[in-house]
Amino acid sequence: MMILKIAWRNVWRSKGRSFVVMSSIVVGIWALIVGNGFMNGFMVGYMDEAINYDISNIQVHHPEFKQDFDINLSITDGLKKTEEIREWEGVEAVTTRTIVNGMIASTKKASGIQIRGIDKKRESEVTSLDSLIKEGAYFEGIKRNPIVIGAKLAENLKVKLRQKVVLTFNDSDGNITSAAFRVAGIVKSSSLNINERYAYVLQSDINTLLGIGDEIHEIAMLTSEGVHEGDILTKYNNTYSGDLVEDWKLIAPEMALMQEMYGSMLYVLMFIILTALIFGIINTMLMAVLERLKELGMLMAVGMNKLRVFIMILVETLSLAIISSPVGLFISFMTISYYRNVGVDLTNYSEGLEAFGYASILYPFVAQETYIVVTVGVIITSFLAAIYPAWKAVKLKPVEALHKI
Amino acid sequence: MSGVIKAENLHKVYSETKIPVKALNGVNLEIMEGEFTAIVGPSGCGKTTLLNIIGGLDHPTMGNVLVANEDIANMKDGELIDFRLKNIGFVFQAYNLIPVLTTLENVEFIMLLQKQDKTQREKRSMELLEEMGIADKANMRPSELSGGQQQRVAVARALASKPKFILADEPTANLDSKSTENLLDIMAKMNKEENATFVFSTHDQRVIEKAKRIVTLEDGVIISDVKK
Repeated sequence: MMILKIAWRNVWRSKGRSFVVMSSIVVGIWALIVGNGFMNGFMVGYMDEAINYDISNIQVHHPEFKQDFDINLSITDGLKKTEEIREWEGVEAVTTRTIVNGMIASTKKASGIQIRGIDKKRESEVTSLDSLIKEGAYFEGIKRNPIVIGAKLAENLKVKLRQKVVLTFNDSDGNITSAAFRVAGIVKSSSLNINERYAYVLQSDINTLLGIGDEIHEIAMLTSEGVHEGDILTKYNNTYSGDLVEDWKLIAPEMALMQEMYGSMLYVLMFIILTALIFGIINTMLMAVLERLKELGMLMAVGMNKLRVFIMILVETLSLAIISSPVGLFISFMTISYYRNVGVDLTNYSEGLEAFGYASILYPFVAQETYIVVTVGVIITSFLAAIYPAWKAVKLKPVEALHKI
Repeated sequence: MSGVIKAENLHKVYSETKIPVKALNGVNLEIMEGEFTAIVGPSGCGKTTLLNIIGGLDHPTMGNVLVANEDIANMKDGELIDFRLKNIGFVFQAYNLIPVLTTLENVEFIMLLQKQDKTQREKRSMELLEEMGIADKANMRPSELSGGQQQRVAVARALASKPKFILADEPTANLDSKSTENLLDIMAKMNKEENATFVFSTHDQRVIEKAKRIVTLEDGVIISDVKK
């Protein structure tokens, strides 16, 4: 107990020095947690945007459709399957899409795009596409052949609301077909696909032009909160055969990889920050030992054994970590809580961020276990940092240390 | 009276430099229980080296040191720490109190390392502080005490666990004449009342006058050993 008392009082012996070490621990914890929160914010923002507005949780296609986007490779009994799936437990919403690659042209420019024929009501249930409308209305206000395009595409084509664009594509017989559409709405999203590469038309319109009746190329599902997508995949495969059914990780493997990479980034960040911290603590504690050589020599001379000396230095270092960790955690928690509510406005960099599919408002968040992982990491770091100074202390020879100035 | 310390044919050679330095050159010395012994001699004669060796802080190059019939010359460092804790009290020239502990805690410290009971520790410490005339400073830190008061705390700390003997290396070197006189009176009193064995190295004539036995060293050899 006396060892703990001496160690504790030694911490406050040089207040300035202890304050510097504790500050570095607080800043280290803050940087780790807030850095992780921002990375999570970027990742989740990116994934939410992609899943909620574009990919959805699960997609079904004809097994060969995605190889060439051949419009004749539709899903067998697609509409019937869709109606059945809608009743499944764990499936929040389902929609169907007709997909054809083609060209879009205005009076000024033309561009290669993917034309997506959608069921406007069902689509908004799955992807909330309607919520992305920035100009005009969601397939409203245009009587014949309305089209919704992304803001970037509209800018490239130099078209405005209610202006005409021409879509050109191959019909089911392989004939090149063109049709005029009028811009009913312009959507804006950080997703490159929505902003620049897709053109949304009504499924009934495009199916008529393609001559494929009520055939569909894609079923998109939104799963309920907490439902494991793999379970729905298994159920689909057990119920129907011959279709390609994929969850978002298979559809966009780069996102799965990104999720994995961001998960490990915490540990990379931890390694970098804690490595810097360990040297800071070693340096300070070594100073604390070297300026007390005579005192340590006296302690050993009068009978304090090496284990007790070692423990004393260890406790001094751990005390610094134990005092500063809650402070660092509290400041980090407050920072994350504040920005989780108000968001971090990165609109100044929106052009660059959107080029990579990132949202311009960032909402950082940190998983609860991150606070525990970081605290344990800091305490282990302090423990490791204490070993060298403590070892230096126990290696002292009392007779030599007593004569140090 | 029985022999507490018995040094036989002690040699100590420091070989850190190219030319080895003989600090002790065949010292034979026996200190009896309750003695008040001063080891005197000019600077560099080997006083501190002799004290370090009989205090188990250093190993002799050759020879034996028996403390309470145990040969400490060949003990390992860890064993020596334990041996010092149980058998030897130290008073240092620069007081060497623990700055973060109070006067009372400093006196208690050795007993605490020996795992003595709290009540017993506090009782003994307060008794000693009263004997030293500094009981009113019990809750003060060393930095709040004068040099003389700090050295009295150091003596109390050394005496607290009733060691076999107390080694004091130039205990009055940093004290003024009044503090020196006070300290010597206290040490003499404790020698008499508690039958504590004191061995100290000194240059100080006043200390030499108070000592009951004077061992004079020169060039690592005892040249005289006078009992008063």
